[in-house]
Amino acid sequence: MGSQEHWNLENGVEDSKELGKENSMGRTAQNLSSSLVRKKSDPMLVSKVRFRMVREFLANLQEVILGTKLCILFPAIPLAILAECYSFGRPWIFALSLLGLTPLAERVSFLTEQIAYYTGPTVGGLLNATCGNATELIIAIFALYQRKIHVVKYSLFGSILSNLLLVLGTSLFCGGLANLKKEQRFDKKQSDVNMLLLLLGLLCLLLPLLFRCAVETDILEAASSILLLSRASSIMMLVAYVAYLFFQLKTHRQLFEAQEEVDESDDVLSEEKPVIGFWSAFIWLVGMTIIIALLSEYVVGTIEAASDSWGISVSFISVILLPIVGNAAEHAGSVIFAFKNKLDISLGVALGSAAQISMFVVPLCVVVAWIMGVNMDLDFNLLETGSLAFSIIITAFTLQDGTSHYMKGIVLCLCYTVIAACFFVHKIPLSNIATANLKFQAA
Amino acid sequence: MASTEPWIMENGNIKGLGKELRHGRTAHNMSSSSLRKKSDLSLVSKVPCGIVRLCLANLLEVILGTKLSVLFPAIPLAVVAECYGFGRPWVFALSLLGLTPLAERVSFLTEQIAYYTGPTVGGLLNATCGNATELIIAILALTQHKIEVVKYSLLGSILSNLLLVLGTSLFCGGLANLTKEQKFDRKQADVNSLLLLLALLCHMLPLMFRYAGKSEAETAKPTLELSRASSIVMLVVYFAYLVFQLWTHRQMFEAKEEEEQGDDVTAEEAPVIGFWGGFAWLVGMTAVIALLSEYVVGTIEDASASWGISVSFISIILLPIVGNAAEHAGAIIFAFKNKLDITLGVALGSATQIAVFVVPLSVIVAWIIGIKMDLDFNLLETGSLALSIIITAFTLQDGTSHYMKGLVLLLCYIVIAACFFVCQKPLNQANLINLGVQKSST
Repeated sequence: MGSQEHWNLENGVEDSKELGKENSMGRTAQNLSSSLVRKKSDPMLVSKVRFRMVREFLANLQEVILGTKLCILFPAIPLAILAECYSFGRPWIFALSLLGLTPLAERVSFLTEQIAYYTGPTVGGLLNATCGNATELIIAIFALYQRKIHVVKYSLFGSILSNLLLVLGTSLFCGGLANLKKEQRFDKKQSDVNMLLLLLGLLCLLLPLLFRCAVETDILEAASSILLLSRASSIMMLVAYVAYLFFQLKTHRQLFEAQEEVDESDDVLSEEKPVIGFWSAFIWLVGMTIIIALLSEYVVGTIEAASDSWGISVSFISVILLPIVGNAAEHAGSVIFAFKNKLDISLGVALGSAAQISMFVVPLCVVVAWIMGVNMDLDFNLLETGSLAFSIIITAFTLQDGTSHYMKGIVLCLCYTVIAACFFVHKIPLSNIATANLKFQAA
Repeated sequence: MASTEPWIMENGNIKGLGKELRHGRTAHNMSSSSLRKKSDLSLVSKVPCGIVRLCLANLLEVILGTKLSVLFPAIPLAVVAECYGFGRPWVFALSLLGLTPLAERVSFLTEQIAYYTGPTVGGLLNATCGNATELIIAILALTQHKIEVVKYSLLGSILSNLLLVLGTSLFCGGLANLTKEQKFDRKQADVNSLLLLLALLCHMLPLMFRYAGKSEAETAKPTLELSRASSIVMLVVYFAYLVFQLWTHRQMFEAKEEEEQGDDVTAEEAPVIGFWGGFAWLVGMTAVIALLSEYVVGTIEDASASWGISVSFISIILLPIVGNAAEHAGAIIFAFKNKLDITLGVALGSATQIAVFVVPLSVIVAWIIGIKMDLDFNLLETGSLALSIIITAFTLQDGTSHYMKGLVLLLCYIVIAACFFVCQKPLNQANLINLGVQKSST
C-alpha cells in the first residue's frame, strides 16, 4: 500500500480518498458491471444455527450461492450432471450446461474480486483481468483438448463479436433512448487504447489468412509456415497484453479508473468490505472452476449432437449462442450502466472484454495447443476474419467522436443481426470444415 | 402541425427553426432548388380566360421553373426517336438527357406538396422521392431481368455521390474559400457514415460467403436468403434513421441557415402551385420518368455495343452522373457559399438513402416478382465501394475541409472510373468469369 500512496501523490490526485477506496480492490469496469446483478443476502436465516463452524460455513455458502440474481439458474448445474449420468438426450445436456454456466461466470468474477481485497491492488487487478473471461478460456481449452479446433476458433471469435457489437450496441441503444435529452459523453482515450489492441489482434489473424490465399501451389509447405507465423504472432500478442496490463494497472491507471460519482443511495456499489475470507474464497474459486470445467466439457462434447437435433449449424451455436450465454452477466451490467448514462463503464466492459479475448485468450489457446501438440493456427476463415475486421472498424468509427446517441447503438445491433443471419444460413457440415482444416494441417 | 409546436418550443429555437420546419425541407431539396429561377408571369397574364390562364401559369411554373429546362425538348425527341425506329444509341442518349431535368422537377414537386402536408409527412415524402429516378430505373431494369444493370447503376449512384459530388464540392468550396476556415458539423456526417458501413457489411457478407463456400450450388440459396434477411435489416435501419432524422434528433440535421436576405435562391416561401396540381404533375412526371427509364434500360446494350464502351462503365459512371446532375450542381453552389453542412447533407444523405433504402427495396421487389436478386455485387464493385466509404469517412473525421480533401476524393473517383472503363467484360459473361474466379480460389 505504501507504493500505492506514493503513486497517488505523484499523479497529483488530491482526491486520494475516493481513488484509494476503489484502487484497493483493484476493480475494473468489468467487475463493476457484473456486480450489478448481485443482491444483498440476509444473514438472518443463518444466525439461528447453533454451531459456530456450521454457521460460518452456511453464511459463506449463502453469500456465494445466493448472492446473485442469477442464482435461479444454479439448479441447472445438478440437472445437467444428472442428465449426463442417466444419459438423457444430449441436446438437453447441452442446454442445461449452458444455463448452468451463466451464473458461474458471474460468480467467478465475484470471487476474484473478494480475493483482490486481500492481495492489494496490483495483484488484484491482474487477477481480475485474467479471470474476467475465465469461462471462455476454460471452454476453449476443453475444446482444444478434444481436438475441436473449429469450436475454439468459432467461440472465441463469437465472443469478441458479441462484446463489440451486441453488448456495446444494446448498451448504446438503451442508454441513448433513456437519455434522449441529455448529452452522452465518454472518454475516448480509453476506448482508443482498446481499439488499437483489437486492430493489432486483427492483423495477427489477417496475416495467416492472406498467407494461405497468396500461396496457391504448395499447401503443405504453406501450412507449416502458417503454423510458425501463428505461434510467433501469439507470443507477440501475449507480450502486447502484458504491456497493456502494465499500462492499465501501473502507468496510466487514471485513464482506466471508472469515474464514479455514484450517489450515496446507490446500494449496488456500497459493499466495501470483503464478505468472505481469503482461503474460503480461494477454495470456492477452485471449486467453481472445476464445475465450470465439467460443464464446459459437457457443452463441448454435446455441441454436435445439439446442432444435429436442433437443425442449427455448429458455427451458429458457437459463434452466437455460446458467447451470449457466457457474457450474460456483463451484458446486463453494461446495459444498466448505460441507462445511468455512465458510458465509460459500459465501454470499459465491452471493449475491455473484447480486447482481452483477442489479445490474451486467443494467443494463450495457440500456445496451449502448441504445448499439447495440437496444430492450431491463427487462420480463422475468410468469413470470420472479414466479419471481425468489419466489426472492429465499425466500432472504431462509432467511438471516434466521444459522444453517443441511440442511432449508433441501433447500427451496431443490426450489424450483429446481419452477421448472425450470415452464420445461421452458413450450413456447411462440420466434417467438411474438419477435412478442410486437416488438409492444411497435415504437415 | 400542433404536435410539432411543443417540440419546437422545447428546443428553444422558435424563430429560425419554424420557418424551415414547415416545409419539411431537407438539405437535398435545398440543393436542387438552387437551380431554379423565377418564371415571370407577365406572359400569362394576357390570356383572357381564367381557367386557361391558371393552367398556363401552372405549366410555366413547372416546366420553365428550372435552368435545366433547355433539356426538356429531349423528352419528345426521345419518344419520336423510339417510335420511328431511329438508331438505338440515339434513343439512349436522348432519354438520358431528358431524365436530367425530370429528376430535379420531381424534387421540386415533392417540396411543393410538402407545403401542404406538414413537416413530418413532408420530410418523409422528400426523403423517399429524393432518389425517385434511381428507384424507377432500378425497378424497370428488374422487370426486364437485367439484374446486373440494377446493381451497377445503384452502386454507381453511391460512388458518384460519395466521391464525385462530395469531391467536386469540397474541391470547389476549398478553392473559393481559400482564406476562410471551412467547418461543418461532423455528427451528421458520422451518422451517414455509420449507415453506409452497415450497408457495406450487408454487401460484404454474401461476397465472402461465396468465396468461403465450396460450390455455386451449395452457396446460391443461402446467399439469397442472407441477402433478403439483410435487406429487411437495412430497411429497418432506414426506418430508424428516418425517426432519428425527422423526430428525435431533428436539430442535428437542420441545415443551419443564416442566409442573407438578398439570397433569392431559397427565398420562395409560399407554394407556387396547388396541392392537387402538384400531385397531378408528380404522377405525370413519374410516368414520363418511367417511360424514359424503360428506353434507357432497353437500349443500354445497343448503346454500349455501338459506342464501344462496356455496359458496366455506362451503368456505373454515365447513368449516375446524369441522374444526379441537379443535386450535383446544387451541392457545388452551396460549397461555394461555404455552407458545407448542406453540401454534406446532399451528398451523404443521397448515398445513404440509396444504400439502405433503394438497394434493399430492389431486392424485396425482386423477391415479390420472383427474381433471384442477391446483394452479392462482385469483388471489384464491392472493393471499390468499401474503399470509397472508408476514405469518405476518414475525410470527414475532423470537421474541417480544404481543397486537398476534395481533390483526393475526385481522383479516387477517376481511378475507379478508369478501372471500369478498361474492364470490358460483356454482360452475359460476367457470371461465368465469377465462377472461374471462384473455382480457382477454392
